[in-house]
Amino acid sequence: MNKKRKIDKIDIIVFIVLTMWGLSILIPFVNVLAVSFSTQKEYLETPLLLWPKKPTLENYAALFRNGRILIGYRTTLQLIGIALPVNLFLTICAAYGLSRKGYPGRKLFMKFVVFTMLFSGGIIPLYLTVRSYGLIGSLWGVALSTGLNTFYMIIMLNFFASLPDSLIESAKLDGAGEYTIMFRIILPLSKAVLATVTLYYLVDRWNEWYHAMIMIRDTAKTPLQVILRSIILDSQLLDEVVTESVDIFSFSDGLKMGSIVVVMLPVMCVFPFLQKHFVKGVLIGAIKA
Amino acid sequence: MSKINTVSHSSPQNSKKTYFQRLIQGIWKNRGIYMILLPVLLWYILFQYVPMAGLQLAFKDYKVNLGIWGSPWSGFKHFNRLFSNPRFFNSVLLTLRINIGRLFITFPFPIILALLLNELRMNRYKRTLQTIFTFPNFLSWVVVTGITINVLSFDGLVNSLIRVFGGTPVSFIGNESLFIPLVFATEVWKSAGWGSIIYLAAMAGIDPGLYEASDIDGATRIQKIIYITLPSILPTVTVMFILATGNIMKKGFEQVFNLSNPAVRNVSEILDVYIYNITFRAVPNFGYSTALSLFRSVVNLFFLVIANAGSKWLTGSGLFGMEENQNE
Repeated sequence: MNKKRKIDKIDIIVFIVLTMWGLSILIPFVNVLAVSFSTQKEYLETPLLLWPKKPTLENYAALFRNGRILIGYRTTLQLIGIALPVNLFLTICAAYGLSRKGYPGRKLFMKFVVFTMLFSGGIIPLYLTVRSYGLIGSLWGVALSTGLNTFYMIIMLNFFASLPDSLIESAKLDGAGEYTIMFRIILPLSKAVLATVTLYYLVDRWNEWYHAMIMIRDTAKTPLQVILRSIILDSQLLDEVVTESVDIFSFSDGLKMGSIVVVMLPVMCVFPFLQKHFVKGVLIGAIKA
Repeated sequence: MSKINTVSHSSPQNSKKTYFQRLIQGIWKNRGIYMILLPVLLWYILFQYVPMAGLQLAFKDYKVNLGIWGSPWSGFKHFNRLFSNPRFFNSVLLTLRINIGRLFITFPFPIILALLLNELRMNRYKRTLQTIFTFPNFLSWVVVTGITINVLSFDGLVNSLIRVFGGTPVSFIGNESLFIPLVFATEVWKSAGWGSIIYLAAMAGIDPGLYEASDIDGATRIQKIIYITLPSILPTVTVMFILATGNIMKKGFEQVFNLSNPAVRNVSEILDVYIYNITFRAVPNFGYSTALSLFRSVVNLFFLVIANAGSKWLTGSGLFGMEENQNE
């Protein structure tokens, strides 16, 4: 297919458009990094800051002195520790149970699941329900309300359903129960889809923000994204409203960008290496569509 | 454990049993599966269906001490208030304006990107570009907003460029007329690359014979795109468009909420933001907020049903057709 051909006009146009598009994504990141390593003075004096002349770690030092980011890191890691096993356990059980065939109630259960994709209570009833369980202010409230993502479950279900039935049949003849079949036979064959779904959940929990903002008001238990939001956005509002207030920690642009870097760094570091696992989910989902 | 039952599965006396007996036998035989599904069922009940039942608050006056079920009924009071509130209508219109706008403005970008990538013949460069294009999709809107504000602020990159070329700096963030275009632009920036993957996969599935045949006929590259590539990915485009239609009422809270600020209040209060504002930024009236929630869910259901009908009509299978697929 890739025969050597002469470079024509279209090649040049395609190359230029894609390169520009790529740069429009890349340059903002470079700028964020550059600002995070610059002093406020250099930031204000240098237009088109892409490379700081006198790089400084002052912003990062200030950020960690302030301590809120560390609270955020700790909370987010705790949240992942609680929520990821819950997410995965529910997703695997649902996908396995629904991938099995020929038992009474399967269709009904499927309808029960699909209905929640069509219709949901929305955030207010969810909030009140979680409150009635006494889980407001607890990471468990956030973890359990994210519980299971039906789309990810369907990706896994599609994968399980594509495995040959004979695997399960022969295991049953050998006297294996459903749990044994799920853990010993199906899951070891499903490492690819497990990796993909785990990554999706990891990213979602890392980016968890809305539920946490609503359900957790205690500043000592706020996840990373909520803290980042208050550093970037609330201080922007504070600048306008109360500039002189003493007790408000003033955030320089460098510090705000530093906090962005700190929050996205883990995703940035692993993404290039795990990209193919992320993509796999789309492709498994696409088989169905 | 269920060995004996499995073996006796197809024994002849099966046919003599009544429906009820066979049902009981079927349930007992598959009890392992039910045990696996039990936690899932519990979760769906506790965190999906109980909140759904909580929608009854839309017809009640919520009293904290009485809870959702014990609060007194109040009829359509909240809906009367809702439908006479201009702020509510503005938020609905704005939601439709932004999210229908997405269907026509941001929707084509992943397709264009996929077409461009498909035409790029430098494979290593293509892979690098794809990594760059897909990465922003995995950042939260909080991060993307932070980056956007940094680039578009008065001292930011774009305004610096404008100054270099002698223009006057523009307030991108606090400008009502630029807010909705900004929503579209950031959406493309964040998600177009990720969205292009599904189209690239569809393109990879096109029979190379089609292109070879067209080479013999002397087709140009543009002709090949128009007459082979585009028609081949049309089914995927249709499905994606229909899926997007089903999100008209739901999409965009995190994005719009984070991008908005007091200066653009009039063009940023979509339905979900309105619900948030009156519930978590004011003294809440949970009955009224729930009425809004119910309205949103019902309208969204309406769009999904239309989308589903459209999908059945165009592609022959519904959006939620996996039950049929798996049961054959």
